[in-house]
Amino acid sequence: MIKEIHQKLVNREITATELISGYFQTIDEKDSQVKAFLSLTKEEALQQAKKIDEKIKKGEEINILEGIPYAVKDNMLVNGVKATAGSKILENYIASFDATVIKKLKEQGAILLGKTNMDEFAMGSSTENSAFFTTKNPCDLERVPGGSSGGSAAAVASKMSVFTLGSDTGGSIRQPAGFCGVVGFKPSYGAVSRYGLIAMASSLDIIGPLTQSVEDAEIVFKTICGKDPMDSTSYNLEEIHNTQYRIQNTVFGLPKEYFQEGLDGKIKKTIAEVIKKIKSKGATIKEVSLPSTSYALPCYYIIMPAEASSNLARFDGIRYSPISNYPNLHDLYFKTRGKGFGAEVRRRIVLGTYVLSSGYYEAYYKKAQQVRKLIAQEFDKVFQEVDFLITPTSPTFPFKIGEKVDDPLSMYLSDIFTVSANIAGVPAINLPCGQADNLPISMQIIGPYLSDFSLLNVTKTIENIIS
Amino acid sequence: MDFTEIDHLLKLARIELSSQEKERIALDLENILDYVKQLQKVNTDGVESMTGGTLLENICDSDKIDKQKENISEKLKESAPYLKDDYIKIPPIFE
Repeated sequence: MIKEIHQKLVNREITATELISGYFQTIDEKDSQVKAFLSLTKEEALQQAKKIDEKIKKGEEINILEGIPYAVKDNMLVNGVKATAGSKILENYIASFDATVIKKLKEQGAILLGKTNMDEFAMGSSTENSAFFTTKNPCDLERVPGGSSGGSAAAVASKMSVFTLGSDTGGSIRQPAGFCGVVGFKPSYGAVSRYGLIAMASSLDIIGPLTQSVEDAEIVFKTICGKDPMDSTSYNLEEIHNTQYRIQNTVFGLPKEYFQEGLDGKIKKTIAEVIKKIKSKGATIKEVSLPSTSYALPCYYIIMPAEASSNLARFDGIRYSPISNYPNLHDLYFKTRGKGFGAEVRRRIVLGTYVLSSGYYEAYYKKAQQVRKLIAQEFDKVFQEVDFLITPTSPTFPFKIGEKVDDPLSMYLSDIFTVSANIAGVPAINLPCGQADNLPISMQIIGPYLSDFSLLNVTKTIENIIS
Repeated sequence: MDFTEIDHLLKLARIELSSQEKERIALDLENILDYVKQLQKVNTDGVESMTGGTLLENICDSDKIDKQKENISEKLKESAPYLKDDYIKIPPIFE
């Protein structure tokens, strides 16, 4: 899709101004129902489009992303634009600098349409935890779009943006992408700089693209990845252009723990059909085992709240625009945080405080870090046997709005197939592969640590096989 | 989980809640802790902790002033609304 639009701009079949105005018109028509956007940057976008049009008119070359409209999840900073992270505590916070991903996209001339809705501080699987409103699934407005990058997924699915950025700590790109039927890529931990991303759990967080095709995801990922001096955990990924790649040489593993009870029958059947097609093209399919899979989610629900409780300590009412003035520091802290954080955020902060507190640290946090090592080692081991893993992205279809919001534990189980990749730091991608009852069905392809470009490559092949 | 324990945690986390909210969070926490307790079943004898996001080793950055950061201090100050000269103003710590 990005390449097609780029060609149209180059061939002057459409101007950047027409393109951008068209997207804002679509947003006008659809977003009152879908509610994917928290804020729009229309004026700046149209100004930028005008400049690009002048450039094209002069016959200057333009970059592949130049003039392409995109939107970002509201936990990424854009200089001079509000960044709420879906929270009341940041309702009036205006970012002071650009996140590295934004800086890179700006340098390429991509045009920001606005910021997308999310679960508060990226904590949730449905966007129902947004302090502002719930985003609807464009496939069925009574259902959730998934989360926490639900606004980003819904914006791409309803064609209100060509691509969007999301962040993924336990599945927050892949699960909503799956629920809305779009491509969502979670890169290897560290492949994309986290500078300017409002942190949830720093050892798990990663930024990635949501797009309509795998090729688009690759184009965006190539632009945003790489070592950044502002994020010491980032690194350069050697770009592997495996043009010799053949599906016949590839071994796909099906981890049996992902296909057991709890998986919806229709999802299971659709993925089995896709696997059959892949096999018929000559790929080798092998059943494998990741025995610690069932421990990934409990492990996640110790490590993530522990890190989040520390990261969210910075919201103290002193910086980032306080809610109001208080006569003493005690009240300022307790009241700002009591009123400013929503129920799920408070839950995770208190849980994180508990597992890190004296007397419980060894039993919870340290234990979880050891189990994390075991899970990562299992991935290492399985990737000596197979090239990639294929699993479902979500055990269920998108659920109804309100269905799980009062039951935190059942909401957490939405991420059961996605958390392991964050725990181990490996790249994983959501690929839509069918539908039932007008709702999308998606699969997840997981690759070895740092195999991002090969993973995108193999997913493109599978995308072709499906269509 | 009793109220004393919840109060202690809320104090550590600097969060004020109503008693109704406290009841709710105590119940939720109990359910979640029950769920995560299954990790106790895993044998982790001799397993090292995985502390970072990857299996890679930590490295240190050189201790140099970053030119990129130099121009940003004014803007960062703007995000703290109570300022006096170059200082961020906070309410008194002692009564």
